[in-house]
Amino acid sequence: MTKAVVGRVTDFPEGTHRVVRVGRREIGVFNIGGRLYGLPNLCPHQTGPLCEGRRVTGTLVADADSGWRPRWTMEGEVVVCPWHGLEYHVPTGRCLAYPEIQLRRYEVGVEGEDVVVSVAGQR
Amino acid sequence: MAVDTGPAREDRRETLADLLIVDADVHVHESPGALAPYCDPPWDVALRTVADVPERYLDIPGFSPGGDGTLTARFPTAHEATRMVHSPEQMVAELSEIHVDLAVLFPDHLLKLPVLPQADYAAALARAYNAWLVDRWTSRHPALLGALVACPQDPDDAAREIARYADDPSIVAVYLPCAGVDPLWGHRRYDPIYDAAQAAGLPVLLHAVTVTSPVFPFNNHGFDTEFARHATSHTFSIIANVVSMISTGVVVRFPELRIGVTEAGISWMPFVCNRLDKEYLERRREVPFLTERPSHYVKRIYVATQPIEEPERLSDIATLMELYDGADTTIFASDWPHHDFDHPTKLNQVPLAADVRRKVFGENALALFGIDREGRRR
Repeated sequence: MTKAVVGRVTDFPEGTHRVVRVGRREIGVFNIGGRLYGLPNLCPHQTGPLCEGRRVTGTLVADADSGWRPRWTMEGEVVVCPWHGLEYHVPTGRCLAYPEIQLRRYEVGVEGEDVVVSVAGQR
Repeated sequence: MAVDTGPAREDRRETLADLLIVDADVHVHESPGALAPYCDPPWDVALRTVADVPERYLDIPGFSPGGDGTLTARFPTAHEATRMVHSPEQMVAELSEIHVDLAVLFPDHLLKLPVLPQADYAAALARAYNAWLVDRWTSRHPALLGALVACPQDPDDAAREIARYADDPSIVAVYLPCAGVDPLWGHRRYDPIYDAAQAAGLPVLLHAVTVTSPVFPFNNHGFDTEFARHATSHTFSIIANVVSMISTGVVVRFPELRIGVTEAGISWMPFVCNRLDKEYLERRREVPFLTERPSHYVKRIYVATQPIEEPERLSDIATLMELYDGADTTIFASDWPHHDFDHPTKLNQVPLAADVRRKVFGENALALFGIDREGRRR
């Protein structure tokens, strides 16, 4: 396990995200409700730059509880690939359209004033 | 001493960068203001009138009316789906990133040309676009090749356009717009277009987009969602026009005419082949000019891959191709820069034999467009 400092805490205000580089990896770092999450900036669908969209949004779901009517939910927790629109839930890395797709999640922490991403050693 | 050097060189899988990739469908952005200087009066005035309308995706009043994007409730998303290409330099740089070596250019807004009810205006737009395409795009870079737009509202004028550009080295196809076209492209009124294309040695390429219009098969108002409209409109339109061209005998009357279809995926091909062969055994006398099974004619049509199907078993794509004997007729297309473009990496994941892979990514398109590996017309 290796760690890399990717910026200062002030670089990642709540409700924002940005793509950082750790070695050869591009990682999207998201601040959602004060908690930091890291996802690969690479959509498994067609290799799109998953985390480079301008904004993180909510999405629509419908289930029996909503009477099968859509409701807006997960506000600020959904990243949408700018290439083809495939949606992912940032905190879990889960793909909303195709549940068999599960993104790798990078651990993002704060050490002092630094934001630190943990990645596995060289493969 | 024997040394294992791994597989022989010819057995190694070429990378996308190594392969010749010909892209049968990319889109330039023609705004009304850009076309105005190329447009005959009085229609140039109409173009200047809408030149300052904020750019919306395939949706400008009096130019590309009735975008389906205007029908559906809008929610915030990072998938803004408004990518546009404004210059040859931008196009070449972006296509290079997806490993495309040669590309055939289609319009953005004029995808909906047949929806315009004023025939003289539509024909003037087509002439302006063709002139602009050659002047501003295809003459500027050898990798950028052009498809002339044929105006279905004025087939005689379209035929004159084909004759005008017949010897232009950068024009490699005639584009038959399908969105809202009425009657379908098999109608005899279009024979001058096929005559001219065949004489010029240029293939015709059918291309649809999603619109909602009272015209078959775009009377898709029964659907609530763009999910449903977009899933079906392109393919239904291609099916309708291909069946039309076969059932009226275009494929027999113009035996040298090469036909291609774009932006409908490939999974409809086995369906059409099988349904037409079935019908033919009972109703041959309605299409007595056919001398072979209908599927034989369908299988001679070149089929662009985009938007490539995304089955759970990727090998299903190879199976679908086998079902229409598509090794020599399937051609790669990206549809760059549109919202549903295909990166070649997806098709590259399909388990195809090495020679089929080379054909589909490039060699089949060279045959369709009659060009060499540098994009020069043969």
